Amino acid sequence: MVIDSAVAVETRPVGGRAGAWWLRNLEVAVPAGVVALVVLACFVGPLVLPIPPPVGGSVLESYLEAGSPGHLLGTDPNGNDILSRVLHGGRASLTVAVAVNLLGLVVGGTLGALSGHLGGITDTVIMRLLDVLIAFPSLVLTLAVAQSLGASQTNTVLALAFFSIPAFARISRAATLRLRELPFMAAAQLCGTPGWRVLTRHVAPNIAPQLITFGMLGMGITIVIEGALSFLGLGIPLPAPSWGNMISQGQQSLSATPMLVVWPCLALFVTVLAFNLLGETLRARWSGR
Amino acid sequence: MTAPTKGALAPPPGTGPDAERAPGRLAELLASPGVRLVGKRVLLAVPILLGVSVLTFWVLNLIPGNAAQQLLGPEATPEQVRALEQQLGLDQPGYARYLGWLGAAVTGDLGTSLVSGQPVTGQISERLAVSGELVGLAFLVSLGLAVPVALLAAYRPGRMFDRVSMLVSITGLSVANYVLALLLVLLFAVELALFPAIGFVPVAEGLGANLHSMALPVAAIAFPLFCFYTRFLRGDLVDQLHGEDYITTARAKGIGPWQVLLRHAFRNSSFGLITVVGLNLGTLIGGTVIVEQIFALPGIGQLMLQAVNTRDFVVVQACVLVFAIVAVLANLLADLLYAVLDPRIRYGGR
Repeated sequence: MVIDSAVAVETRPVGGRAGAWWLRNLEVAVPAGVVALVVLACFVGPLVLPIPPPVGGSVLESYLEAGSPGHLLGTDPNGNDILSRVLHGGRASLTVAVAVNLLGLVVGGTLGALSGHLGGITDTVIMRLLDVLIAFPSLVLTLAVAQSLGASQTNTVLALAFFSIPAFARISRAATLRLRELPFMAAAQLCGTPGWRVLTRHVAPNIAPQLITFGMLGMGITIVIEGALSFLGLGIPLPAPSWGNMISQGQQSLSATPMLVVWPCLALFVTVLAFNLLGETLRARWSGR
Repeated sequence: MTAPTKGALAPPPGTGPDAERAPGRLAELLASPGVRLVGKRVLLAVPILLGVSVLTFWVLNLIPGNAAQQLLGPEATPEQVRALEQQLGLDQPGYARYLGWLGAAVTGDLGTSLVSGQPVTGQISERLAVSGELVGLAFLVSLGLAVPVALLAAYRPGRMFDRVSMLVSITGLSVANYVLALLLVLLFAVELALFPAIGFVPVAEGLGANLHSMALPVAAIAFPLFCFYTRFLRGDLVDQLHGEDYITTARAKGIGPWQVLLRHAFRNSSFGLITVVGLNLGTLIGGTVIVEQIFALPGIGQLMLQAVNTRDFVVVQACVLVFAIVAVLANLLADLLYAVLDPRIRYGGR
């Protein structure tokens, strides 16, 4: 909400009562609307729509065509409803992505702010440790972590969050360094405000918008990587649905029943595109282009 | 190292490359800031690689169900498992195994695979050639297309070509490479039957056949890269063209718009591009895992995935180390290229 009102003030045309806010900010409103729609469909959809559960279908009903009675998008090899699996899979993907980015934002953001604010040896130690993480091909080690801890939703979150920390930390550090030059920071210090209070009351609110903006791009990235892990069988384990494992399952009969792959791919693409557009637009506005 | 006192005598930019090649200047070059910068980076890479290897070793030690159990199968008796553990050295404490491994790794010996019993170094170099070809071709294709498209888009920002290319690139950035790979298979292998869906033909069996088998995997990796580079380079070029004084100067001198774009703006924008390419190369080699899996390419990513699944941690450790070395080398190469492109770095005048 903070972001929205700031943007609205900044871009209000002269004499501007013309049109609703969202009409003047279509490039934010459209992707935000799509994200809201996806969230609504995945979390509320299965509760209110007359669709069967995503698991426990009968093999007698396998490979039904799209438009079959009771199965709008048809069924998969196990007789499970595809629409239901796409929606429940989206629920899993979005939950993982939100958890990963929240963890990355809080931990990475704190480390970066500390690093930038304190400087000196703390800065060096934190940033060099994060360099090690950055030198890592993250998907590779995520594979190893996922394998070592066992495939589950919680472990997927932990493994992915671990590698989202450096990016958040770098952005947070850069933003904190820029703040250090500003008069209000000097004022806070001259007033004798204790360090933790400067960090929580002055630094945190000022770097939050940039971190949240990056989080939007991070959502897209995380959804893709979670899909990759599930695709390789190291993310969310079957029979529970996720977009990645649905794509992997459908790949086995790609030439005969391509729609099994197309639906989860489409859901993945639309969601990631919406998050990317939202992130890019917000970033462009913050950087003042 | 001494301060670069020769900095004041630096020849004007443009004569740089010739001066470098003159044999008498070799000593001076070795003491030059550019070389020292690279030397510093090499030294910095050592602790990073050590950190990576320690982290991997530690993570792999967390893996439940060790390799001995995995190799012998579920029916093995505890005695058999223990005997094999002893044979493989798995009974020693972690730090002892790590130090032993490190000592051998420094001499280029990455150990023997727990599963196949073959030396890992040979196995990896074979696989690395396939992955290297995949990544190399993907970079060639993506950069070869992205640079002209970005230049055309930046030539007239906001026009049709610019808008279409930006729309294509943000769309392409949102397609996961496994989704793209499957769609390519569906279209070009299943529907049109133009390319093979899976399999790899070595170069030894003919370059044409080799490239034919690599076309779809390369496309799956190159397209998102192309989109990313196009977007990045176009953005940077537009920033240069609109905000920089040297562009105004160049225009005022009466230099044509294409010349300004190519010789002035592009030369400066290429720095950002090189950084991004360097960073990308590191992450990309890990990203090939999934594409190699889909197209059944015998690359290092596939080797790593197999090793993860069979708990062959000797191979996993070696693969991760190779990935990390490639990432560090790529960044080093980017630093070197800066020095070649930017006389200020080469002669130390900051």
